Amino acid sequence: MNAFTQSPLIEPSRELRDTCAIVGTATSRLGKVPGTSSLDLMVEAIRNALDDAGLKASDVDGVLCRGPDDSYSHHQLVAERLGVNARFSTTLTNGGASQIMSVALAVMAIRFGMANTIVCGFARDTWSRTHANEEVRVRNETRPESMLAREFGPEYGYYGATAAHAFGATRHMHLYGTTRDHFGEIAVAFREHALRNPQAQMKKPLSIEDYHAGRLIVAPFGMFDCSLRSDAAGAVIVTSAARAKDLRQPPVLIKGFGTHNNTRGWFADDNMVVTAAKQAGEAAYRMAGLGPQDVDTAQIYDCFTYMVLTQLEDYGFCKKGEGGPFVASGALRLGGALPCNTSGGQLSESHCEGMLQIVEGVRQMRHTYPEHRQVKDAEIALISGHGGNQVCHSTLILGRA
Amino acid sequence: MTETPRKPKPRPAPESLPYWQAAKEHRLALPKCEDCSQFWFPPSRTCPHCLSTNVSFQNVSGRGKVFSFVTFHRVYRPAFAEDVPYVVALVELEEGPRVLTNILGVTHEDVRCEMPVEVVFDDYDEEVSIPKFRPVGA
Repeated sequence: MNAFTQSPLIEPSRELRDTCAIVGTATSRLGKVPGTSSLDLMVEAIRNALDDAGLKASDVDGVLCRGPDDSYSHHQLVAERLGVNARFSTTLTNGGASQIMSVALAVMAIRFGMANTIVCGFARDTWSRTHANEEVRVRNETRPESMLAREFGPEYGYYGATAAHAFGATRHMHLYGTTRDHFGEIAVAFREHALRNPQAQMKKPLSIEDYHAGRLIVAPFGMFDCSLRSDAAGAVIVTSAARAKDLRQPPVLIKGFGTHNNTRGWFADDNMVVTAAKQAGEAAYRMAGLGPQDVDTAQIYDCFTYMVLTQLEDYGFCKKGEGGPFVASGALRLGGALPCNTSGGQLSESHCEGMLQIVEGVRQMRHTYPEHRQVKDAEIALISGHGGNQVCHSTLILGRA
Repeated sequence: MTETPRKPKPRPAPESLPYWQAAKEHRLALPKCEDCSQFWFPPSRTCPHCLSTNVSFQNVSGRGKVFSFVTFHRVYRPAFAEDVPYVVALVELEEGPRVLTNILGVTHEDVRCEMPVEVVFDDYDEEVSIPKFRPVGA
């Protein structure tokens, strides 16, 4: 090891802790919203978030928005519809990790004078795209052709994110004795939360028997292990903690964030059972000066049930390999040890690539929910983002002011 | 009567062509670094271990074990409609790299992590042969 590789790891600066706050948040209509587009939904969510904050579009001078993978310079199209000439505007492209990264970038931009008030958001129209006609239903693929593998996959009948994540589930089951009952408890818990949320896409109760009766998609995953196809948008408005004090809502402080990318690949090393949530979480905890024991509610990127289980381990809520027993204890339920995805998550509320996890984290920190939806006395929320080629990860820690 | 569409033929990237040429000859060959002696997959022209461009394709044993696997029950492409349920596995070769493949010669219920497997070649047409794996001794 030379002096260069021995130099200390640079961490997200603790000087950024609590410098910015989320002052407005909202969603668009969620679920099945025919006759709309991802841009329409994005603007709808931002209008609602501005109303929530008591701000006007002209108060915004930064736009960090993202849309479907085939949308070009999505942020520019959004800003145009908002009638905003933005000082700071871009789209991050890191899959489901992008949305928390946008909030982190907003904090840095505000702290260093690039903008004053930034809207971060994500929108997709996946339900409409995959249900528009029979052809897309059969093809069932929302990615543009240019993004699809040309070799080392399609010739083996290997398609889709479900299969990719299922590899991790199989490996975890092999190493630690995790079972489909454990995955099922995650699906059942989040569905129960969704039933408390009038906005949620899924309205029917789900029992563990229903879970096991669901048809297999790519084993070990059945249909209830998989997140939803949704039309959905969410937005948050970030500004300095000083400005936040004068606004309509109780400000929710951005206490920590971190990112990590296991870019050597999902199939490399142990990445399918120890995700980049480990390093992203450690960085976020250090920035916030907190640890897993301080977290009152977790909003975890739940593209598939297994991804919740492994991230709970990677964030230190239980030891590696003990995620199964941890979820089986009922910990994730409202009223449990770590209420998780309290609005229903991507498995039962709507899939918005982690944006709704941020929205729900903010709402839990405001303590404005009715009792049956509120995590009692919650002071700290941890939120995760995960995506790209299963390897990109981001973590956000929020707290009450 | 409608014909079942053919399964997709690999469309190699330029750096993968030696891999597919070897497969056509029923050899499994992976890129190897002449400087640091490491193998890797998928093919690229720069060693991901030391960034050397002194790279050649070398035959490997074709033996390995199942690192993880999944079983497709859903038909994502009509060409695979008659194959479901079928296994897609990640095989860790003796030389280290992991390759995506199908497991033949065993029912999907009997595939296990760590199961020893060996390569077999599935001739797609006169130009292309696709490396697949079967349990050792099957």
